[in-house]
Amino acid sequence: MSTRAIPSHSQELRPPRRSLPFDAFPFILLLPSALLIALINIYPFATGFYYSLQSGTLLQSGDFVGLANFIQLFRMADFRHALWFSAIFAIFSVFGSWAIGLLLALFLNMDIPARGFFRVALLLPWIIPSIVSVVSWRWLISDQSGLVNVMLQAIGLKPIYFLSTGSLATFSVIVVKIWRSFPFMMLSILAALQTLNRESYEAAAIDGAGRWQSFRYITMPHLLPISFVLWILMTIWSVNDFETPWLLTQGGPSNATENLSVLAYRYTFNLNDVGIGAAISFFTMLLLMIFAITLLSRQRET
Amino acid sequence: MLTQKPLVRWSLFGLACLLVIVIDMPIISLILNSFRSTAEILSSTSLIPAAPSLVNYAYVAQRTSFFQYLLNSLIMAGGGMAVSILAATLAGYVLSRFRTRVFRAYGTGLFLVQMFPVLLALIPLFILFRKLNLINTYYSVIIMYTVAQLPFATSMFRAFFDGIPHDLEEAARIDGANRLQSFALVVLPLAGPAIAAVAIFAFLFSYNEYLIAAVFLRRESLFTIPVGIQQFMQQYSTDWGSLMAAAVMAMLPTFVLFLFIQKYMMYGAIGSGVKG
Repeated sequence: MSTRAIPSHSQELRPPRRSLPFDAFPFILLLPSALLIALINIYPFATGFYYSLQSGTLLQSGDFVGLANFIQLFRMADFRHALWFSAIFAIFSVFGSWAIGLLLALFLNMDIPARGFFRVALLLPWIIPSIVSVVSWRWLISDQSGLVNVMLQAIGLKPIYFLSTGSLATFSVIVVKIWRSFPFMMLSILAALQTLNRESYEAAAIDGAGRWQSFRYITMPHLLPISFVLWILMTIWSVNDFETPWLLTQGGPSNATENLSVLAYRYTFNLNDVGIGAAISFFTMLLLMIFAITLLSRQRET
Repeated sequence: MLTQKPLVRWSLFGLACLLVIVIDMPIISLILNSFRSTAEILSSTSLIPAAPSLVNYAYVAQRTSFFQYLLNSLIMAGGGMAVSILAATLAGYVLSRFRTRVFRAYGTGLFLVQMFPVLLALIPLFILFRKLNLINTYYSVIIMYTVAQLPFATSMFRAFFDGIPHDLEEAARIDGANRLQSFALVVLPLAGPAIAAVAIFAFLFSYNEYLIAAVFLRRESLFTIPVGIQQFMQQYSTDWGSLMAAAVMAMLPTFVLFLFIQKYMMYGAIGSGVKG
């Protein structure tokens, strides 16, 4: 600032910030949340890694085994399957929920009577408790008298027991995950759409652009940054998702729908093998961090 | 948004109704089924109950511990909400008003913490809480719910306080208020609606949560609603009528609270990533 350039008093030559006494006030206000985060996030991060290097149980800490648990992981068939299932589950639920969310956002962005009501109604799958959505979906698809099978039988087909075989259960878990996740995609894309101004479309129309062209060259580029963030967030959330596969199938039939979170839970809390359980969770976190950092740095380049 | 002819608008309206019915079908069929007996659910091919009755609701209310679970859920979700709102308003205020390097780094750290898989935290904390005799207590779950909400709530409050002019606090200071008073008596009352919205978000998250409650609460009298319904589903997998009535009852508080905050939803979705 120009007024500071010409000091009128010799006192102002001293850098004023350095002379201020330490201000404890903001630190005191921050203390409760900083302590809570240290206990619930920083502490487990450090000890979780420590447990992954041991052969302990939930009741007793075990011997130090170095990286043996991590090496053991790759020899385990159920770990390799969980890795594969997590990838399939993430890819299909991310793009499925994004595509449906995008279509519904474009639809809700049109001039429809009672638009606010429809927006609320389409958000419901996202806000209801996971256990409630699982109860309703289980009846829809798994029972012979469920709605989907009644409809299949009405058109002359045999009933399908969607949770009875590995591939059908995989398909069902993905469908339920998409159903639970698309509203968040829709809401975020809708919010981005509403920041697009009408003038750019009008300008494009004057230049002779058709509907598809204005979608391709105005709407999509505008939605790309938010979509990128949504893909990353959604991938992290589906790899970490425990509730959808666990509540719907408990990871079954015979571990077919077990992702890394369900696997880590089973090893820790059912098989009481804390070393392997912690190693799986730690490995999952590393995988997700590498994934997020790679994608974010690539996004910055483009 | 482009304005269209009435015919186009009303055909879009029809399409929207159809979409809502198809997409919300799991919820609609759940509600309709909860009003008929399990026998009818298993035999009927129609969606609409032939003889609607409240028999399932009576069963859930009288023969199960549903209201105990509801009370537990309210205590734990409410406790997590109260503590996180308290801590997050203070932290949000600091991040908004004191823009030094330390606090900026804290804000970034908060964002990163959200990426942390909850299961990795649960394993060491289960061992720690077991040593401290906190398993099977409300406290273990309340503290987890509190921290789960802190990053989101803090960033929302920070954004909200950014919009409150500093002049107000300076005026209060000239009138003789100290810094804590100018925050608590001038800034905080203005934040009332924002606090209510974030509080409802926090409550909904905890009320819907399953995994944390299932890990830390192993005694039936302490179960929250999601854990209780999951147990019921495992034990009485064929009693669809009661199961569906319990699910509808579990959904009611969510619906009511959601209607209060749905207009803030837009803001929440952009503000940060909220929920999985």
